[in-house]
Amino acid sequence: MSYFDWFREDRLPTIYCAGCGNGTVINCTLSAIDEVGWKREETVFVSGIGCSSRASGYIAADSLHTTHGRALAFATGVKLANPDLNIVVFTGDGDLAAIGGNHFIHACRRNIDLTVVCMNNQIYGMTGGQGSPTTPRGALSTTTPYGAAEQPFDLAELAIAAGANYVSRWTSYHVKELTKSVRAGLETPGFSMIEVMTQCPTNYGRRNKFKQVADQIEYMKTHAMLRKKYDTLLEKGEPIPEGAIVIGEFARRSRPAMGVRRAA
Amino acid sequence: MKLVIDEKRCKGCNLCTSVCPYRIFKPGKKPNKRGILVPELDRPERCANCRLQKLYGRTLCGMCQLTCPDQAIRWEEERPNERRKVAIEY
Ligand SMILES: Cc1ncc(C[n+]2csc(CCOP(=O)(O)OP(=O)(O)O)c2C)c(N)n1
Ligand SMILES: [Mg+2]
Repeated sequence: MSYFDWFREDRLPTIYCAGCGNGTVINCTLSAIDEVGWKREETVFVSGIGCSSRASGYIAADSLHTTHGRALAFATGVKLANPDLNIVVFTGDGDLAAIGGNHFIHACRRNIDLTVVCMNNQIYGMTGGQGSPTTPRGALSTTTPYGAAEQPFDLAELAIAAGANYVSRWTSYHVKELTKSVRAGLETPGFSMIEVMTQCPTNYGRRNKFKQVADQIEYMKTHAMLRKKYDTLLEKGEPIPEGAIVIGEFARRSRPAMGVRRAA
Repeated sequence: MKLVIDEKRCKGCNLCTSVCPYRIFKPGKKPNKRGILVPELDRPERCANCRLQKLYGRTLCGMCQLTCPDQAIRWEEERPNERRKVAIEY
């Protein structure tokens, strides 16, 4: 058996644009679920609205495709109604951090036993490329034609501060590490947040000097910096290279959690 | 086992051409029926998964398959008596 068995093959190919990173993230998540051996009838996929949130519709298991930003609210309900279910939430940066921002911090605070995979493409992909709360300063989007003036959210840091038990960040280039990290998230009781930087060639890359899909992947490869190295640079007071994407496992702890699976 | 690209699913993003450690995938040159440049395979018998995944009982490298955003890459069983090339490791 391989993770391909989790796909609804009749629904493929996906609606995603050529080179969209969301498909890669779905592969890695399903691969991790396949590794831990979760049963299909005990697994629920929940998502909100957005390109990233369409992921749940391509998976052959129970799923809830809910309203914009409310994936975590629905997931909390499912988990507390039946703690024996395993729940994975697919969400986007707009879905999680903009309209769903409060659900996000409170789900972290409650430390509900969910695994959240956030595909952060730094843009509202589905609606045509408006700036999101994670659009980096200076980046162009349809709502920031002169470059974003605001400081973006760091979703991973936000999750740590709000109390999540497992927090990590990877990119869609780091598929093996991402799979391992999702697996660790699935196995950690309490709220697990895996932020994945993904490419959106159509609405982000095209406007931000990534002419080809491979250019953005190359950028993630060359600008990714492990948390350890970032911390040493900070400690030594050395400058952080511009545009560095800090990746790695940021938190793994065992605070009291809600809705954890009952012992068999 | 042999490496195949599903032409019905491939959207021609060419991500596989940059992640394969053996550089088996080459950007396609001729558009297919749907107008998509599906990558070409350069001596796919070099792929470790083709040769060894049966022996090890698990997927080895698998970078292309995990990365492919359109689930278009997979390994297939050869038909009985199908002719195949063999790569020799040295
Ligand atoms: C209540 C509500 N407000 C706004 C929208 C419009 N809308 C649909 S998707 C989306 C943004 C999605 O962005 P993100 O979560 O980053 O997903 P992506 O498409 O980038 O993967 C918005 C604003 C909506 N569907 N519902
Ligand atoms: Mg987005």
